Amino acid sequence: MGLAAFGTVAALTLAACSSSSSSGGGAGAPTTTSGFNSAVTGIVNPSNKKSNGTVSFGLSSTPDSTDPGNTYYAFMWNFTRLYTMPLMTFKSCPGACGLQVVPDLATGPGVVSNNGLTWTYHIQPNVHFEDGTLVTSADVKYAIERTFDRSLYPLGPAYYTFLLGGNAKTYPGPYKDRAKNLMGLTAIQTPNPTTIVFTLAAPFADFNYVAAIPQSSPVPPAKDTGANYQLHPVSVGPYMFQSYQLNKQLTLVPNPHWSAATDPNAKQLVGKITVTMNMNANDIDSRLLAGVLSVDAAGTGVQAAARARILSSTSLKAQSDNPISGFLWFAYINTKVAPLNNVNCRKAILYAANHTNYQTAYGGPYAGGAIATTVAPPNVIGHKNFDIYGFLSHKNGDPTAAKAALTACGHPSGFTTGIAYRSDRPKEVAAATALQAALNTVGIKTTLHGYPAGTYYGNFAGVPKYTDQHGIGIAFGGWAPDWPDGYGFFYYISDGAAISPAGNTNISQLNDPLVNRLLTQFGTQTNAAVRNGYTAQIDMQIMKDAAILPGVYAKSLLYRNPNLTNVFVQPYYGMYNYSTLGLK
Amino acid sequence: MVTFIVRRLIATVFLLIVVSMITFAVFFLIPRLAGQNSYQLATQYVGRNPTRPAVLAIEQKLGLNEPIYVQYGRFLRGLIFGEHYNSGTSSNYCPPPCFGYSFRNQQPVWPLMVSSMPVTISLAAGAAIIWLTGGVAIGVVSALRRGTFFDRFSMGLALAGVSLPIFFTGLISLALFSYKWPIFPNVTYVGITSNPLLWARNLVLPWITLAFLYAALYARLTRAGMLETMSEDYIRTARAKGLPERTVIVRHGLRAALTPIVTIFGMDLGALLGGAVITEHTFSLQGLGQFTILAIDNQDLPEILGVTMLAAFFIIIANLVVDVLYAVVDPRVRH
Repeated sequence: MGLAAFGTVAALTLAACSSSSSSGGGAGAPTTTSGFNSAVTGIVNPSNKKSNGTVSFGLSSTPDSTDPGNTYYAFMWNFTRLYTMPLMTFKSCPGACGLQVVPDLATGPGVVSNNGLTWTYHIQPNVHFEDGTLVTSADVKYAIERTFDRSLYPLGPAYYTFLLGGNAKTYPGPYKDRAKNLMGLTAIQTPNPTTIVFTLAAPFADFNYVAAIPQSSPVPPAKDTGANYQLHPVSVGPYMFQSYQLNKQLTLVPNPHWSAATDPNAKQLVGKITVTMNMNANDIDSRLLAGVLSVDAAGTGVQAAARARILSSTSLKAQSDNPISGFLWFAYINTKVAPLNNVNCRKAILYAANHTNYQTAYGGPYAGGAIATTVAPPNVIGHKNFDIYGFLSHKNGDPTAAKAALTACGHPSGFTTGIAYRSDRPKEVAAATALQAALNTVGIKTTLHGYPAGTYYGNFAGVPKYTDQHGIGIAFGGWAPDWPDGYGFFYYISDGAAISPAGNTNISQLNDPLVNRLLTQFGTQTNAAVRNGYTAQIDMQIMKDAAILPGVYAKSLLYRNPNLTNVFVQPYYGMYNYSTLGLK
Repeated sequence: MVTFIVRRLIATVFLLIVVSMITFAVFFLIPRLAGQNSYQLATQYVGRNPTRPAVLAIEQKLGLNEPIYVQYGRFLRGLIFGEHYNSGTSSNYCPPPCFGYSFRNQQPVWPLMVSSMPVTISLAAGAAIIWLTGGVAIGVVSALRRGTFFDRFSMGLALAGVSLPIFFTGLISLALFSYKWPIFPNVTYVGITSNPLLWARNLVLPWITLAFLYAALYARLTRAGMLETMSEDYIRTARAKGLPERTVIVRHGLRAALTPIVTIFGMDLGALLGGAVITEHTFSLQGLGQFTILAIDNQDLPEILGVTMLAAFFIIIANLVVDVLYAVVDPRVRH
């Protein structure tokens, strides 16, 4: 059930960090003042100095929602830590340290029963909402209950519906017939105000990761305003909403009832935080470089113009970071469309692809990423490096091996297939064109099918009936996990059970028994070391199946405003951690 | 005149209904003709990896599984009578013209558009004053001093103004006067009621950028109109009657030359009020233009429908005003 939001939820980073015991903004992690990539490996300008100043965010798009129960964007999961406290969270520290899931509102990780079906969390007894009301386990239960109303909150993940037992499959949420359904989700029990017990339908070893999604941040039932809750979520974090003009301007001010003692992964250091939305992306970069803006909230890196300026200036480059974002840009290869239902025909595509051009299409080594030889990026827990098709030794493609594979699949002079891509994403257009040219050199003729990004998964590439009928053998996509282990990364793009009639993300329609079995075991195995050992096995099998053509492990060039303190890349989000920022 | 206005207003309503039907058909009917069913339409509003119950819930909530005419009827009803929306914990009334409910934002469309209007109105009105006064004045002087340095220079500048797109002049003005020399730093819309000075200061660059394009066009139009008018027989007659030159130019020459200017001004202003898309995007101003871009990006059909109808409304009303002004500017129309 691991689900990632392509184009949204990012994770991880390559950089290893020596610290593993830091907290509260990564005390104990390496610290530094400036230098290229210094915020990837350490904390830049560590400080607990309080300021009345404003940390200003600029955003070239808009949030999917500011409601913690209805958001799936990576930068929003990062940003919501300023006003929410889920049961669990990711440790605020750079490098591998930041991949650890740690308690936030909870006092410790979930305690799982012997049969793996119940998870018990105890919450801190002294956390308050912004109005001074004490947070109880019932508020956490209610927060999760409301996400079951998918007509009001369609955008967030649906893990609780999948995972929980009891009436979870039919529970309509607390709004329909409120007298009956308020606190009516039987799979969550709150035996006392500080204890919450989840009963699952089947064992699920990664449940602590699910509890780290903002959906478990408490919502007081009496203050819930349904669809309008996004305009003022009741804060339990270091800041609270002062004003919000939907999709335009958000202003946060310090929450007087927040305590650093109960929330060591966040800080309250500035007098105001603003987010200006729907800005011109180039204008954001210019304002960042002029020092007028503090942070680009999207966290996906600067645009081409600013990138050229930064990389050509020693001083500006020293103020930038180039982390791996956690995304894989890749192409699905449809295992059901002839002749690609023959593995050797699929292998021919992997051999023929020009990886240098692929990388260039996505923006080159700084803005695009590193050439990928595996499906999982290097920072997914349990990842192992391998290159069975020799991508790195044949960066411009291996026509000889491609032709041998074509012969083995019975099409020595090539075949014809379709390539789907999002026509409003210039990088993807360039990648599709580059792949078409590379395949053409070995006789594989392709037709390009461009579709709008907004309906790409819902109506075209993500509809197996459509791809099969239109002979679409290759479809471009991007992926990052909701949590940084193999299950989180692979389930939705490679498990046979994840194939769905619309909005499908296993576009390859891969239904390999070995992959399916390993993912099933992954979901139930409670021994983390054993579980993470499956990651490389699944990765290897998908590559052997040639069901995915990896493109690049995405990277982004971030500019670091020199006035900010406590700046570091939170590896799980692949962008700066927003919950600890301060001003010099 | 009253009959004329009433007749035009009735035509306006009719025209808006036609616009709404066409827009509705484009976004609601054509996808179906292309083979998409209501389930697929609903899928695009349910976020990533939607579950079937989630898609069905949205399909039902938005009424996508109902016949097109029922959906259109509901839209029209909301437009005229307003509509109630269930926010989960309460039922909210959206007064007319409601323009439907945004799939993406879970909010009624009309209040969202209203919140964007002050930005666009401020931008369009300020720029319009600059380009109208500046463009017409330059055009008149150029015509009267035909062939002089001023004429050649201003017409050269006008040619540049017409040729250079806003996303170029806007970026240059930002680069010079906001980033490099921060005379107008951090261009952000501030409400005129909250701080009039900051409101004006932050809009100076967008006003000038937008006005530069239009002023150039108006200067050339005015100049051409004035040159033609000033060579008419009645101007010679006016001069022969001994009227002062100022009266000849303003009352007889400019007045006649203004007729086409008024026409195009109405069209331009009307179109801009519907959203100065490029200017707003360049300067990160969150007006109706940015609202439109966002609505298209999100495939938020009710928002697209709303902003299309609003833009059509502005253009139609601007044309109505222009027609009325004709009568004032050109006495021949009155007869």
